[in-house]
Amino acid sequence: MKLLKPSWVNHNGKPIFSVDIHPDGTKFATGGQGEDSGKVVIWNMAPVLREEDERNENIPKLLCQMDNHLACVNCVRWSNNGLYLASGGDDKLVMVWKRAAFIGPSTVFGSSSKLANVEQWRCVMILRNHTGDVMDVAWSPHDVWLASCSVDNTIVIWNARKFPEIVMTLKGHTGLVKGLTWDPVGKYIASQADDRSLKVWRTMDWQLETNITKPFSECGGTTHVLRLSWSPDGQYLVSAHAMNNSGPTAQIIERDGWKTNMDFVGHRKAVTVVKFNPKIFKKKQKNGSTPKPSCPYCCCAVGSKDRSLSVWLTSLKRPLVVIHDLFDKSIMDITWTLNGLGLLVCSMDGTVAFLDFSQDELGDPLNEEEKNAIHQNIYGKSLAITMESQLSSTIIENPEMLKYQQERQGNQNPNEAQGIGPENQTPKLTNVLNGESLEDIRKNLLKKQVETRTADGRRRITPLCIAQLDTADFLPALFNSVPILPGSSASTQLTPQISSDSSTANSLGLRPSHDPTTTSPNKTSHFPSLSTNTFSFSGLSCSGTIEPMKALDSRFTERSKAMPGVTSVPLTIVVLWFCLRVKDSSSVKEPKGKDETSSDSEDKIMVKSIAKRKGEMEGAEVVEKRKKGRPRKDAKTMPFPQVTFLLSKDAWISKSTDGAFSEGGFTVSTDGVTYLEVENEVSVVSGSRLSQLKWSREGREWDVLLPSRIIIAAGSSNVVAVACEDRTLSVFTACGRRLIPSIILPVPMSALHCSGHFVMALTASAMLSVWDVQKQTALVKNESLNPILSGTDATVSQSFLTQQGVAVVSLSNGKTYCFNSSLETWNLIADKQDSLVQCTDFRNCVSAQDALGSMGPLALTQGRNLSAGRLASRLSSTPHHLQQGMTLAFLEKQLSSALILLSASEYRHWLLIYARFLVNEGEAVREGQCHCSQG
Amino acid sequence: MAKVQVLNVAVLDNPSPFRNPFQFEITFECMEDLPEDLEWKIIYVGSAESEEYDQVLDSVLVGPVPAGRHMFVFQADAPNTGLIPESDAVGVTVVLITCTYRGQEFIRIGYYVNNEYTDPELRENPPVKPDYTQLQRNILASNPRVTRFHINWEATMEKMEDSENVDPAPNAMLPPTSMPGKAPPLGLMPDNSMDCL
Repeated sequence: MKLLKPSWVNHNGKPIFSVDIHPDGTKFATGGQGEDSGKVVIWNMAPVLREEDERNENIPKLLCQMDNHLACVNCVRWSNNGLYLASGGDDKLVMVWKRAAFIGPSTVFGSSSKLANVEQWRCVMILRNHTGDVMDVAWSPHDVWLASCSVDNTIVIWNARKFPEIVMTLKGHTGLVKGLTWDPVGKYIASQADDRSLKVWRTMDWQLETNITKPFSECGGTTHVLRLSWSPDGQYLVSAHAMNNSGPTAQIIERDGWKTNMDFVGHRKAVTVVKFNPKIFKKKQKNGSTPKPSCPYCCCAVGSKDRSLSVWLTSLKRPLVVIHDLFDKSIMDITWTLNGLGLLVCSMDGTVAFLDFSQDELGDPLNEEEKNAIHQNIYGKSLAITMESQLSSTIIENPEMLKYQQERQGNQNPNEAQGIGPENQTPKLTNVLNGESLEDIRKNLLKKQVETRTADGRRRITPLCIAQLDTADFLPALFNSVPILPGSSASTQLTPQISSDSSTANSLGLRPSHDPTTTSPNKTSHFPSLSTNTFSFSGLSCSGTIEPMKALDSRFTERSKAMPGVTSVPLTIVVLWFCLRVKDSSSVKEPKGKDETSSDSEDKIMVKSIAKRKGEMEGAEVVEKRKKGRPRKDAKTMPFPQVTFLLSKDAWISKSTDGAFSEGGFTVSTDGVTYLEVENEVSVVSGSRLSQLKWSREGREWDVLLPSRIIIAAGSSNVVAVACEDRTLSVFTACGRRLIPSIILPVPMSALHCSGHFVMALTASAMLSVWDVQKQTALVKNESLNPILSGTDATVSQSFLTQQGVAVVSLSNGKTYCFNSSLETWNLIADKQDSLVQCTDFRNCVSAQDALGSMGPLALTQGRNLSAGRLASRLSSTPHHLQQGMTLAFLEKQLSSALILLSASEYRHWLLIYARFLVNEGEAVREGQCHCSQG
Repeated sequence: MAKVQVLNVAVLDNPSPFRNPFQFEITFECMEDLPEDLEWKIIYVGSAESEEYDQVLDSVLVGPVPAGRHMFVFQADAPNTGLIPESDAVGVTVVLITCTYRGQEFIRIGYYVNNEYTDPELRENPPVKPDYTQLQRNILASNPRVTRFHINWEATMEKMEDSENVDPAPNAMLPPTSMPGKAPPLGLMPDNSMDCL
């Protein structure tokens, strides 16, 4: 055994309360008292292990120091995967640290040490719950949970997958809880407290498994910590401070029946810390001697207030080694290297000692298979996962394990994905901003920085953002893998350029809409036919005079010819989402359809989507209901929490070469429990094919039969509208009564929306109509989209109807218009290219409470553009007065847009911001006007 | 834990004539978006004897402060010499940079400042009335004294709850594109209101 006290590992003489070696063995952390705060230091392990590295000045010793804890740090622990470091301190906080990806070396400003931090560790999570000093923290096997214990007598189990979620608070101790250890099998967690008890808790239900008090009843006095430990085979739990016959001991507790028959004796004062070697050993086979089977054993280090350290092998009755007077004060913490041959000990006196054992002394460490075999023997296979390397070959029994395994796989390339890997970190934001180096910026910072005066005449400086925090933050991608919502992405993704005429382009154009659904890997397998069954869909282009279906046909062959001469404008309705959800019944025809789509003008497979306004329900889901007899029953409930405003529905129509609609059933849901299902060709009665529309909500349902094939259906809570192939539009009440006789349309329907009592129809000839079916009046009568479409190549990317019956049409060029029926004009309400949007800054006029008001039709059309503008404003160096002017103009635009959309909450929202902005900037004239308009 | 960490303060234009403005280039990191501005102050300690002679040279609001690393230059005019005791004009004093958030000071950075005449003759025989035009100010930039204070970074509890109630889904895990949120309950009709039609 070799012993080393690396004097350079110190906290400037202040106590070191905790030490922990990183799982990869390259570094270790210490925690303790800093100058006027708590301190966590990460050290390089190499100079401890090798003398030449210690002498080599090019090898840094100190990697990073963090003085963020406000008071003494009592415990530092690396997560098992080595990505995180948890620290707990007297400031009642647990902090979780992650290596930052984006910055180079820096010093802790103002610290007396001038050493640069070689690695950057950043606090990614602060866990607040304890009401007293945190004494110990412990990561569960596989880092599923993080436990912390405190002098507030509680133990908090944090969900390490979803910080800062608390899984459970374990209450029961009546004294300061000073030590924690997880069962390596993961079934229990044990805690030891000043109340003279050691408690074992089940992780299954977080209830008390056993309460052991007998060995502790004599315990008097207090120790700073009571760090207990569980043996790597899970069979023994060894406590800190216990008493036997008035002598201090470390009590051995057997897993089997929690028997307390054995203890480690010999220390003269209370045992503060016990730490098992992570390895299980077997006797070293001497050369020449016959290999005889020997029982594997464990190794355990015990540290005490008597300043001495003892190392025990469970196969020996006496300690392997006892080292006295290693420190001037109590031993506080012990950590083993992962290979089991090295040991770091820290003391209240502020020093650290390293012990290096040889295999001759400890024995042959079992390899992981052997260790696993032992676990298998004792606990059965399911529990025998102790090492990461095992995980891939182990049966996955629970979601945590699955998650963990995925995480491991994900972490194979952590750097590319998340930038969280400890090695080869690329600075995320380089020292270059807009082509300027940081040095250049610094030279001119004083001149360039934006300084304004607030209303009360104070100087206000807008700081220059030189680096944005990597927002990946705590959670690796897998953790926040809320599936990317198809509906939501569709609205932004699917806008442009699908109007091109070639069918190949169509099939390409469809691709983006696949992506959202295929982001989840296991879903991909459901759609193996993705590339082969490429469904093209057609935009509808049609001149009023052409017979409708012909017009559709002409799309593929004649459009290029037809277009220049035809006055009507191409109108493309973009597939919103899950067009992948191809009906199996029609898939037989699909390959054929596809082939011919590219060659033959006669056939087409048309996919349409309908976006429908839905204002009543939040958190609605679109439920796709499949028809009976479909082989695939993988109908999914699509999580749809965000696009609650715009509820998407899918409509599906396919047409085969013979001109007959395939059995194109589609469903439309108007809220979580309402289904609208359409089935074409339900039955053939005397030569005419009947279609059926089914409506059901909460067990109530009705259906109607229609004489023609249904191409689009839409519904609101009040009405249901159905457009058929024979150019009729039928409107029903929500209870299934026909409201008006079929409306005859000049051309086929292209988009249909219902909202409240309003029905909006967009025809293939780019004509818009909005009716109030309750009052039986037309709000918009056959209004052409020509004014907004002419002169551009844009196509309609989205349309919807607000609750107040205002029709809104978004184009692929990013502009959104609404039709004002009183002025009978098209009004531009949103423009994504608007330069005003880019340069506005009204951030300080927005309060958190405003968030709700900003949701509505206007926000829907403008989307995230607003936040993008704010981002730009931070980085741009637009002169202030210009920016002020632009912001004003923008806000006024928003106000009028909200007004014309009849969106009361949004109007209020923007009016408030507008008013605040005026007040802040001291614009008295307009302020008066603002008051007027408010009144 | 403090949401704002001061990473560096570079003392610009140092040493410089006494009447030159102070310039500090401050780099700080913020862990999350701050809803309110930071307030920075430069305080010149006129006399070590008494706080009475402390002068706030300037105070400035800094914002908006989103999460990330930021820098700015804080420039403030030289102290009003009329307020400095004549006996303390030459020699060592202190300049303080403080930062407050919601009215609570969380960091105080102190620098020693040495004011001395550059002219050896004046240095030997300083005039009774200090000649500020000849004084040079030298800030001991290499040795800042940093004191940190624990403050409450959050708004009052009540306010926090409010914002939580109002804004139910600032869910960072969702893509920003999908944030339109929920529809306002305008003109909301009970679902069954049409049943009588």
